[in-house]
Amino acid sequence: MTAGRLVLGLALLLVLAVLVLDMSGSAPRGTGSDHVSPVSFAATVPGGGNVCQPIVPLPVDAARAQLLIGTYGRPVPALGLSFGGPSGTVATGSLAAGGKEGPIIIPIHRVASGEANSFCLHVGGHSTVVFGGEGSPIAAATELVNGKQQGGRVSVLYLRSGNESWWQLLPSLDHRFGLGKAYVFGDWTLPVLALMLLGVWIAAIRLLLHELRREARA
Amino acid sequence: MNALASSSASQSNARRLTRGALSQLRRVPRAGWACFLIALVNCAIWTVVVPPFQVPDEISHFAYAQYVAETGKLPPEQNTLQYSPEEYSAIAGLFFGDTIGRAQMRGIFTSAENQGLHEALAQHPSPVGTGGSTSITNQPPLYYALEAVPYWLSPSHNILFRLEMMRLLSALLAACTVLLVFLFLRELLPRAPWAWTVGALVVAFQPTFCFIAAGVQGDNLLFFASAATFFMLLRAWRHGLTLRRGVLIGLAVVAGVLGKLTFIAFLPGIALALALLGWREARRPGVGETPGVGQARGVGQARGVGRARWRGVGQALRPLLAAAAIILIPVAVYAVMNVHVWHRGGLTGGGLEVASVNPTAPGGHAVTLRETLDYTWELYLPRLPFMHHAYFPAGSALTGTWLDGSIGHFGWLDYTFPLWVYTFAKYLFAALAVLALVGVVRLRGVLRPSLPMFACFGVMALGLLGAIGYAGIRYRLVNGVPFEQARYIFPLLVFYGLFIVLAANALPRRWAPLLGALLVVLAMAHGLFAETLTISRYYG
Repeated sequence: MTAGRLVLGLALLLVLAVLVLDMSGSAPRGTGSDHVSPVSFAATVPGGGNVCQPIVPLPVDAARAQLLIGTYGRPVPALGLSFGGPSGTVATGSLAAGGKEGPIIIPIHRVASGEANSFCLHVGGHSTVVFGGEGSPIAAATELVNGKQQGGRVSVLYLRSGNESWWQLLPSLDHRFGLGKAYVFGDWTLPVLALMLLGVWIAAIRLLLHELRREARA
Repeated sequence: MNALASSSASQSNARRLTRGALSQLRRVPRAGWACFLIALVNCAIWTVVVPPFQVPDEISHFAYAQYVAETGKLPPEQNTLQYSPEEYSAIAGLFFGDTIGRAQMRGIFTSAENQGLHEALAQHPSPVGTGGSTSITNQPPLYYALEAVPYWLSPSHNILFRLEMMRLLSALLAACTVLLVFLFLRELLPRAPWAWTVGALVVAFQPTFCFIAAGVQGDNLLFFASAATFFMLLRAWRHGLTLRRGVLIGLAVVAGVLGKLTFIAFLPGIALALALLGWREARRPGVGETPGVGQARGVGQARGVGRARWRGVGQALRPLLAAAAIILIPVAVYAVMNVHVWHRGGLTGGGLEVASVNPTAPGGHAVTLRETLDYTWELYLPRLPFMHHAYFPAGSALTGTWLDGSIGHFGWLDYTFPLWVYTFAKYLFAALAVLALVGVVRLRGVLRPSLPMFACFGVMALGLLGAIGYAGIRYRLVNGVPFEQARYIFPLLVFYGLFIVLAANALPRRWAPLLGALLVVLAMAHGLFAETLTISRYYG
């Protein structure tokens, strides 16, 4: 029985260690998107032109914007990104020319308070580039290329600043966990569920130990 | 007078059956109730972890239940809008369409988006839809009728609140399934109480099972009814087929048949099992005998034995007839109402009619029996040289669909564990399979008396696997995408619990419970990391 306890205890410690290790992994963390997936190239923009698009409000902790760009093998041109709202420009960012086509990340900085409900992306150079997004019929929510409404929407994924572990992200996770659910859920939900899960684990382990004890007696 | 007497007798029978069932429940060991509670709370946690409508097909299952709850009728399956305005509003506000199938996309992430959702729902869009045809409206109504209860009991009329209440019913069904796994193992291995707990707990923490239990999903009733059927058949085999057990078998089977059409695949095996039970009951010494028969002599003895034999047959038939009546009467009522009241396109509401359509395969021919057999074989076993078609890369269906899918293909099959987890799981399951074989050899004496019933379970399992193959090739040829998902074999969950218990029993009796406990801890860890994976998928 003592051996059983010891082995189970070690197994639990191992699980805990793996959990801590897993949660400690540091990586870029997302903070939302414009809800458009980069499944195809959805906007064609000539060099020197721009693409603008309405978006859901820019998350307050967005520090970088990730887009998918295709340049037909040429280096990525200089890009300028700005997020605007009713009160003017709220955030801006830029990327120097010279990167490779594919996913690109543009750092953005808040320049004013307020809510951004659209973005404009200026493409430098003289070559045409394409941006990843989704095709869709022309509508008020679709992209404008050089001021002309087009069918399609450009995908923008937002990232938080730097790399973070899951421990560092916990307050944000806690907040997001309560969103998009029945109104009774909120910031309290994740910690309470964690405690409930701990209770389930304790109950299961106690039950197993009870069975081991009974078997040892038999 | 006769009618009064018969009504009073049937009431007394019903009371006796209820009392018997309650007394049986009281006899369930505490460990069984502990497993039930652990499973209930664990699955209830999952219902909150998984965002609304992210369980496969949950939007359609919810729509069916909402239609039943709001109108008291079954969806007419017309070519109209599939969901209620309220559900359309919710799924738009949740960015549902942008999220499913796209692992890098998230639903609601900011307070502003959350406010948008709740403002849209505050407009009180109608909860009454038109019952348009979806992939599941041709299913029978029992699960959706049950889900109408929490829908109406919900203290709030908010769709997300109602959804959460309905999800809790699924969690309750899952916990009942776990309890039935416990009872099944108790029947099979009565002298190893630790094994009942181990088998039930590995199911309670199985993450794909918990993921389905987290949503409004008809499979939850299917899993429950299947586990109940396996348990009741085994119990009747070990203790005899009484009227009460006949009634309980009938109830379990009818819950399955009226829960999900997939259950029909079990019916040939169930019929065989019932025939076996009846045959054994009729031959049981003492059944039908009356005092004194044993002492009869000569012609009188022969007549007495003959009469006793017929009485034995009659007594064996009673529980079988009860089971058949309990199954057939509601199913017949459902079939008649489908045709004459709800006008749902055939006796099964279009369910079997759709499955039996022979679509045109590529190359301009209908699906042949040989193609169906090839496909079904390759779903579970390596392709044989004489099989013309290679539907899957070598051996990929067995591991890719069934094993990897059970380890975890979550959401609308849009997020998974890292690749190394599945590789590790393959080796682990291979090792467990070897251990389970050793366990079978070690327990052969205990298992042997149940072999005839296990042969019937084998026929039931073959029926299920065959039905998956039959529907799978047709779905694949019509839609061009795979049909199979690991959850389709989860009606056999009791055997997953048994598999783990057998593997643990490979060790000598002193160490077997400890190995079993370690396998439960592994299952718990599996469940825990599936939850952290789910949290990172939707909130990270």
